[in-house]
Amino acid sequence: MELDNIDKKILQEIQSNFPLTPRPFRTLAEQLSLEETDVLNRIKDMVNNKVIRRLGPIIDTQAMGNTGGLMAMKVPEDKIEDVAEIINAYSSVSHNYLRKGRNKDIPYNVWFTMSAPDKEALGKNMKEIEDKTGLVVRNLPTTKKFKIGVRFSIYKGD
Amino acid sequence: MADETDIKLIKCIQDGIPLTERPYRDIGNALGLSEDEVVSRLGRLIKEKKIRRFAASVAHRKIGINSNAMTVWRVPSERVDEVGPIMAGFPEVTHCYERPTFPDWPYNVFTMIHGYTDEECERVIEAIKEKTGLEDYVILYSEKEFKKTGTRI
Repeated sequence: MELDNIDKKILQEIQSNFPLTPRPFRTLAEQLSLEETDVLNRIKDMVNNKVIRRLGPIIDTQAMGNTGGLMAMKVPEDKIEDVAEIINAYSSVSHNYLRKGRNKDIPYNVWFTMSAPDKEALGKNMKEIEDKTGLVVRNLPTTKKFKIGVRFSIYKGD
Repeated sequence: MADETDIKLIKCIQDGIPLTERPYRDIGNALGLSEDEVVSRLGRLIKEKKIRRFAASVAHRKIGINSNAMTVWRVPSERVDEVGPIMAGFPEVTHCYERPTFPDWPYNVFTMIHGYTDEECERVIEAIKEKTGLEDYVILYSEKEFKKTGTRI
């Protein structure tokens, strides 16, 4: 999908904040001097084409009382796909990547984030993955946050 | 803590709100809540920071931001509070966290860097090195995305 400047303007606006008004697409349209139907249709197109992964709440699982974090595993090359599939089967896994060190070798190659209602449940899931794969799951929870939030500069003005 | 209705509401919309003219009324209809109550609950959850953002999650690769370099740094523990904010100050750094170390893992500060190209990310890494004097780091590009969804409850 090719995005035009109007799409980019809409994205730039809604990646930070989507209006909590009875007619949010109209509110956006007014802010951007567009028509409500146009804004709604453009957003629908961007959702259908997966430019927008999701429009809605980005939840702080910790504030919601959940726990979780980044997990890393050292997976032999020929088992990577199988292990990725085992990990992906958990709905509490939100990200799962194969990563390689560019400038230095590192011990882990499969990196995923997993959440759970509490530490016990998280430990149980980690143990299950270890049992199913025969590999160690290393838990790297956040001990301090300096920055969180993905916002890209999409539209820098005409 | 979020109450049961909050949890029901979030579960209903965590994969996305309906793309209709009055989404909050439609959500309310599905849950037996009024439109006003949906809006005010969401407003409160944002204020309480249980919802970090109520917004669109953009697929960065689809908008040409093709490079995603998770860079991990070995930072002496007494310098973490000093260098964390310096790293976080770069707009290309979208996440910056401290994490524990292990015998086979000495890297305690994680930065997620996004850019249009790998070179753009590497320029940011050079700038961080220069500003902090740190030398021991590893760039971990994602070779493959097995899964990426939003955080769910």
